[in-house]
Amino acid sequence: MHDQGPGRLAGRKLETTTKETTFVDYASSQPSAFAEMLGGLIAANVTARPEKKRDFDTLVARVGIWVTDIDEGVTLAFDAGKLTVYNGLEPGRTITIRAEAETVMSLSNLKIGLFGMPIYYDEVGRGVAAKLLRGKLKIEGLLPNVATLNRVTRIFSVQ
Amino acid sequence: MAVEAFSSDWAKQFKDEINKSSVYKAAGKGWKWTVGLVVEAEPDKNFPESRGIVMDLFDGEARDIKVGPASEAQQCDFVITAPYTRWKQVATKELDATKGMLQGKLKLKGDLPTIVRYTKASQEMTECTTRVPVAWPDGS
Repeated sequence: MHDQGPGRLAGRKLETTTKETTFVDYASSQPSAFAEMLGGLIAANVTARPEKKRDFDTLVARVGIWVTDIDEGVTLAFDAGKLTVYNGLEPGRTITIRAEAETVMSLSNLKIGLFGMPIYYDEVGRGVAAKLLRGKLKIEGLLPNVATLNRVTRIFSVQ
Repeated sequence: MAVEAFSSDWAKQFKDEINKSSVYKAAGKGWKWTVGLVVEAEPDKNFPESRGIVMDLFDGEARDIKVGPASEAQQCDFVITAPYTRWKQVATKELDATKGMLQGKLKLKGDLPTIVRYTKASQEMTECTTRVPVAWPDGS
């Protein structure tokens, strides 16, 4: 419970992201910081939000994310309720997202609207759409996999 | 006038910069958690002991920022840890804090969805550190 009293510290009990989960594994015994961050983010989202858990439990896809300005990436292998996070891009990906770090963070801030569709008309959404149009956000495999991308976005979004 | 890096004077100026920022005020709306920055010692850079910066941030305002032992900062809801040189790189815009976290150059402890939700606020907070004129202990 936070307090608003003057001179007292802010603070609210938080779920930590370090707790063990049985549904997120790392392919490498030394996952990269980026792999741990995405794995941790998805684990926290799926644990806390039943609607994300439903998506997670049915999604089967291999999603690559490459961060162009740090030259690092991961492959997220979703397998109906299990996720394996690989360092780097693995073969056989359904979708590959390539963008700068800031854009990757924006993707996880997309709001989800009616019918589970990501919202592209608010400030964050417009920013993401503009980057897509300008080629600063590239999504390989987008056209045949729009539904998969939407599901991944829902699992990934912290909003 | 330049202040000693990660000193009480630096903390005061950093707090003032945050509270002057309309961007932070908007982006930090709803934030209710403490943030600890741990600056790890690097004796060869004339920074012999680790320090902790405890930031009491609330709803777009910095209520208090104080410098103390690293152990105090480690008790905060969110803790970001890096050696002195990395923090200097962040404060001099040589290293983007978001990229630093993704690369593991800055180590983050705390609830990831919450911190990701406030990416813009943390970016602006980093901007605020760059506005404080600093005298670095390693002289450069």
